[in-house]
Amino acid sequence: MTDLVLENVHKNFGGVVASNDVSMRVPAGRITGLIGPNGAGKTTLINLITGMLSLSSGKVLFGGHDISAEPADRVARAGMGRTFQNIRLQKEASVLANVMIGFHRHETCSLIAAILGLPSSRREDALLRQKAMALLGRFGMAGDADSPAGSLAYGHQRKVEMMRALATDPDLILLDEPVAGMNDVEALQLGRIFRELADEGKAILLIEHNMRFVQELCDHVYVLDGGRLIAEGTPRDVVADPAVITAYLGEE
Amino acid sequence: MDTLLSFRPLFDLFLIHLGFAYSQYIVLRAGAFSIGNVGLSAIGAYTAAILTVNYGLPLPVTLLAGALAGLAFGTLLAIPLARLRGVYQAIASLAFVQIVLSANLYAENVTGGAMGFSGIPKLVGTGTLLVFALGTIYVMLAISRSRLGRAFDAVREDEGMAVSLGINAARTQAIAYMISGLLAGLFGSLEALHSYAVEPNQFGFHLIIVILSYVVLGGRRSVWGPLVGVALLIALPEISRPLADARIMIYGLILMVVMNFMPRGIVDTLVARRARRRSRAANPEVRQAEVKG
Repeated sequence: MTDLVLENVHKNFGGVVASNDVSMRVPAGRITGLIGPNGAGKTTLINLITGMLSLSSGKVLFGGHDISAEPADRVARAGMGRTFQNIRLQKEASVLANVMIGFHRHETCSLIAAILGLPSSRREDALLRQKAMALLGRFGMAGDADSPAGSLAYGHQRKVEMMRALATDPDLILLDEPVAGMNDVEALQLGRIFRELADEGKAILLIEHNMRFVQELCDHVYVLDGGRLIAEGTPRDVVADPAVITAYLGEE
Repeated sequence: MDTLLSFRPLFDLFLIHLGFAYSQYIVLRAGAFSIGNVGLSAIGAYTAAILTVNYGLPLPVTLLAGALAGLAFGTLLAIPLARLRGVYQAIASLAFVQIVLSANLYAENVTGGAMGFSGIPKLVGTGTLLVFALGTIYVMLAISRSRLGRAFDAVREDEGMAVSLGINAARTQAIAYMISGLLAGLFGSLEALHSYAVEPNQFGFHLIIVILSYVVLGGRRSVWGPLVGVALLIALPEISRPLADARIMIYGLILMVVMNFMPRGIVDTLVARRARRRSRAANPEVRQAEVKG
């Protein structure tokens, strides 16, 4: 089972502590929530986990291996997929092309075959096209396959990012505010897909502002404020925690 | 028939410059702002010329040697450029072109210095050029439809995104430099064995501007972009003879106008426009979303 474990993860930018001694566990087969007010350091933590930022101290263990010092592309190839808070798509490329790039780490044809357009390269291209179409079907977006990704509505662009992350067939998915800009129906529909993925044995770390969504979906929630974990537990316990209420609403 | 024959030198020029344009296109497609390919063409040209004249090696061997020399130096160039991005990459690669140019000027006993290297037999005709040009277009199309083309596009559009999908950006761009070097070296060799003589300044700032104009005017994403760019810019001075003398000035003007009004180049602009129109026809609600958004 590929669990993600953070041990005393610490990051400071000069004198500013962005992540203060954070330890947490994101087990396979579960949806783990990460919440906290704006500027709490949630995205910084994701960037530390995925190797986009380097740790000042502490450890990130993924499936038992220490990946703290690995570059981001190797972390991704180890089986970690993510979406971005500020959507990052190839805006002019088609939705299909945007999803197909996600299969990159599983492509097997040789470089020479790709350069010379040998049958193995063409077969792989056709196969990935099919697999990408199947993913589009699962997210109800088969009709948008040829649209430029940048022309889609905001919520749909988020879905394209998710399909791309899923195409990498990750063991752990980090979702940075996946339902921002979506209505409740769309969010619910996505929630169902997240649950299916967890049931398949994937670990999911969900960063979200939508508390209702977190309460419905997450098995366990961590609360971050000022770079420090201030609470953890079931969603119900966490929202009742006085420290969490203070962090979100201020002191009385 | 006579009129057709009189266009032959122009067609040869078109085919050679098509190869140069693709050696530029492939690095830009991978998101690397290198113009080092012009220096690599010089290396290929001198390699082929020297091996032919001084050592009497046959055409296939000299062409292969020129292409491999381009590939080798392209690979070396990738190492320092991998640490740089954007305009710094461009400046460093320009420095490389200058280094090659100066080396060819100073190594007089090997290269003939400023006088150039002459007495090269004309071993390459329109047929050979056509074969290599068509082969290049085929390879570019094959790359476009492969994992490599997808990786190039991802790295160019957003390196952080590409990396989050497991793509090694430095390695991907290094592959682009190698393909670019191979093409630059090959078409440099063809140029040398087609035009009787080569001289250092032929592969300098002037050629950089010409090649960039092709790719900027035609487009940097679609494989057909460079083809359209080369065809238009080579035909233009011929259609209007008085323009021929001011060729480089016209190119500069076109560059400035295109960058302002069609920054993606002719082909890429048309392709994007068509895709947008088609997706609107298929999906009326997308238009609403766009209007709202």
